[in-house]
Amino acid sequence: MPWIVKRIGVSLLLMWVVATVVFLALHMVPGDPAELLLSTGGAMPDAYAIAELREKLGLNRPLWEQYLGFLEGLSRGDLGNSLVDDYPVADEILLRLPRTLELILAGTIISVIIALPAGTFAAVRAGGAFDRVASSLAALLQAVPVFVLGTLLILLLAQTLRWMPAGGYVPLAQDPVRHLVLLSLPAIAIAKGLTATVFRMTRASVLDALSRDHVRTARAKGLTPQRVLRRHVVRNALIPVTTVLGLQMGTLLGGTVLVEYVFNWPGLSTPLLRAVEGRDYPMVVGIVLTVSGLFLLINLAMDLLYAALDPRISRS
Amino acid sequence: MRRLLLPGLAVLFICLVAAAAPLLPMPDPVRQDVANRLAVWLPGSPLGRDEFGRDVLSRLIWGAQSSLMVAFISSAIAAIIGTMLGLLGGWFRGVAEFLAIRGADVVLCFPPVLLALLVVTLLGPGTATLILVLSVLYLPGFIRVSFAEVLSARSQDYVEAVRALGAPTTRILLRTVLPNIAGPVLVQFSLAVAAAVVLESGLSFLGLGVVPPTPSWGLMIRGARSTMEQAPMLLVWPCVALTFTILAMNILCDAVRDVADKRGGGGAKRLRLVDRLLPGLFPPPAAPVPLLDVQGLTVEIAVPGGIIKPVQDMSFTLMAGRTLAIVGESGSGKSMAATSIMGLLPPAARVADGVARFEGEDLLRMPEAQRRKLRGGAMAMVFQDPMSSLNPVHRVGDQVAEAIRAHRDVPADAARREAVELLKRVGIADPERRARAYPHELSGGMRQRVMIAMAIANKPRLLIADEPTTALDVTVQAAILELLADLRREEGMGVVLITHSLGVVAEVAEDVVVMYAAQVVERGPVAEVFARPLHPYTRALLAAVPDGDAEPEGIPGVVPRPDQWPPGCRFAPRCAHATDACNQAPPALEAEGDRAVRCIRWREFAP
Repeated sequence: MPWIVKRIGVSLLLMWVVATVVFLALHMVPGDPAELLLSTGGAMPDAYAIAELREKLGLNRPLWEQYLGFLEGLSRGDLGNSLVDDYPVADEILLRLPRTLELILAGTIISVIIALPAGTFAAVRAGGAFDRVASSLAALLQAVPVFVLGTLLILLLAQTLRWMPAGGYVPLAQDPVRHLVLLSLPAIAIAKGLTATVFRMTRASVLDALSRDHVRTARAKGLTPQRVLRRHVVRNALIPVTTVLGLQMGTLLGGTVLVEYVFNWPGLSTPLLRAVEGRDYPMVVGIVLTVSGLFLLINLAMDLLYAALDPRISRS
Repeated sequence: MRRLLLPGLAVLFICLVAAAAPLLPMPDPVRQDVANRLAVWLPGSPLGRDEFGRDVLSRLIWGAQSSLMVAFISSAIAAIIGTMLGLLGGWFRGVAEFLAIRGADVVLCFPPVLLALLVVTLLGPGTATLILVLSVLYLPGFIRVSFAEVLSARSQDYVEAVRALGAPTTRILLRTVLPNIAGPVLVQFSLAVAAAVVLESGLSFLGLGVVPPTPSWGLMIRGARSTMEQAPMLLVWPCVALTFTILAMNILCDAVRDVADKRGGGGAKRLRLVDRLLPGLFPPPAAPVPLLDVQGLTVEIAVPGGIIKPVQDMSFTLMAGRTLAIVGESGSGKSMAATSIMGLLPPAARVADGVARFEGEDLLRMPEAQRRKLRGGAMAMVFQDPMSSLNPVHRVGDQVAEAIRAHRDVPADAARREAVELLKRVGIADPERRARAYPHELSGGMRQRVMIAMAIANKPRLLIADEPTTALDVTVQAAILELLADLRREEGMGVVLITHSLGVVAEVAEDVVVMYAAQVVERGPVAEVFARPLHPYTRALLAAVPDGDAEPEGIPGVVPRPDQWPPGCRFAPRCAHATDACNQAPPALEAEGDRAVRCIRWREFAP
């Protein structure tokens, strides 16, 4: 399958470009990172301390040497140590990434389960009552920022009605029920944007598929409307939806930062925000690279899914 | 345009209020008043005070200003730089294209919030950082849109013309190309502003955007979270303001986009009750029952300008085992007639009148469930373009097997074996292997053979073939026609063959119906119609067929559009024999023996 090899190659290339851009951004910014890091509260830092930190960060080596060292570390999965507590960045990410992934997975499942059937039904009965209600709801969902929805969910369900906990995290092994209860609100919040987009895309895509010649052929065969819909409309309509799903993942991944913050979900968001405020460069770079890599990986997976759904892609 | 009005006014209102913030008689949004913290209402503070005793309404309005300002400035920067890069990339191609497009791709590799956080880490939070980040994030959208538009504009005649006149490049780009890509760039701009408001509020909410004490909706929500228990409304107001603003902007974006690429559409009404009952009152014709008997078939389509009738008062009869051809130029309504008989009309079209009796039963008034059982069973259809008519994502063998199982209760593997047999039957070599192929892996002729295999899967008594050879190579056309003729002989099917080629008619059909502009203009046995055409249009069609050394004569003009039909004879404007009388009243279809013709002068021409 040379097509797949090529596609994977493109992903690796993009990953390298992303890493290089991040590296360059880090070193092109005016000002000495070591100086910036130590100058808390406006006081001029000690020259000796700066020199020591520069030494430790390898900032006095030539740029290309630093770059090669950075790439070499990356290839070994070594993202350096946190400037704050000297803890390996990769270990911190490995601890927290699964929790963020769980949130993303739960959010994606919720939105696909809701949006695909709803979008299909709205398209089949285009202009009907369900279509109008669902389309308006989708427009509203698209307009509510994810952190607003999260905050309002807490206000309503946790604060006012006291049905749900306001946030937090319990490991699955410790208390599975509590784990899922705590997962539900952040997952719903994270799912909202994707649900709205996938709904609109599915609706448009099914409407388009319904007008295709091959659907007429399927009807001319005397297939039942349900079978025409399942095999000849939805199957074909799903193809463009997967692409959108992949592209939307960028928004979804960014949304996790906000949602984890709102619901105190101990994923990548907590160390990321702490590192941004504390200018903990290795931590920020490590997390940004991890999430961007995840984004590229998801898009790769979507492209492979696309090829599996559409036989015209991989064979031509 | 009306759809733009409401969201447009809402967005305008928000922007005006935000812009007028310094002029409105409001308390200072940053002045703290701890004595009145979390007050629900105070004179001059209709929405109360926040956790530092600052006026909520004033902060909402000033917050709108800072959000919108950041969003507009960053979108404007992105629009200007992005459009410029796109223009240069699309105009000069080469290195400029590579830098612009690949640069945009790199930005798109980062999830937006993450890229923003990276930049905030490097530059520290603040309004300037926000504007920089947001303009970088929305740059790719503008680059791509303007690049694509320039590429298409480049090849337009007017751009070519200006270029040929020797105008300098910058002048062409700014004066000629830019105004023409303004529409898509505007759409992109409205999308960017809406997205920027969302992202700005999110970053401010995290405490990494607008720096306090500057009021911002995101910051207000952040602050109100801690006092949610005592003052829930403090949280609700900025949430509502933010959501309402984004909703209005999104709806405006949709409306702008719809106006930018306009499309029309119209629904169709259903059959009236009287139309449903009336034809049933007439007794069905006496035996022998024809296979297909169509009387007075009329199809309507509702279009924005009114109702058009692509098929009007069409009648013909097909006996079992015979072949009837329907001939006419494109736009004469032949395909629409066939699809309406099969019950496959597109949603916008509907049968307005007439009956179509299949073995005595009216297809047009039959319940859909009953008609579905006939479709693909007793009556089948082959379509014009086999590429688009086959589902690209299923193997052809499965698609044939599906037709079998739709009508007969056979196990899946038996149906698959039968499908292979059918493929062999329609002359596909190596049918086992071809059954596993996807449509795009087959040649056009082979695809049409698959369509035919699908149609004959359940031994239909009626086969409607809608221009089955039009989309194929000339060499393949004859083979497909031959296959259809063989199958008809062997299966004893009645065939309705829709075609615009009289050559095809002469070869395979026994009866012919000539259509022009939705009407039947001549009908009769093929041999007689060819030997003695009664209608000037039929004669013109016959003269247009290449025959030996004689130069074929074309028919001047084209079939008029359904909304521009002349009041009298519809062929009169193109007819060499038209008189004033022809333009007065629509001629009736006159029957004589087994012939029929719609021309007031046919007797004069009859040889």
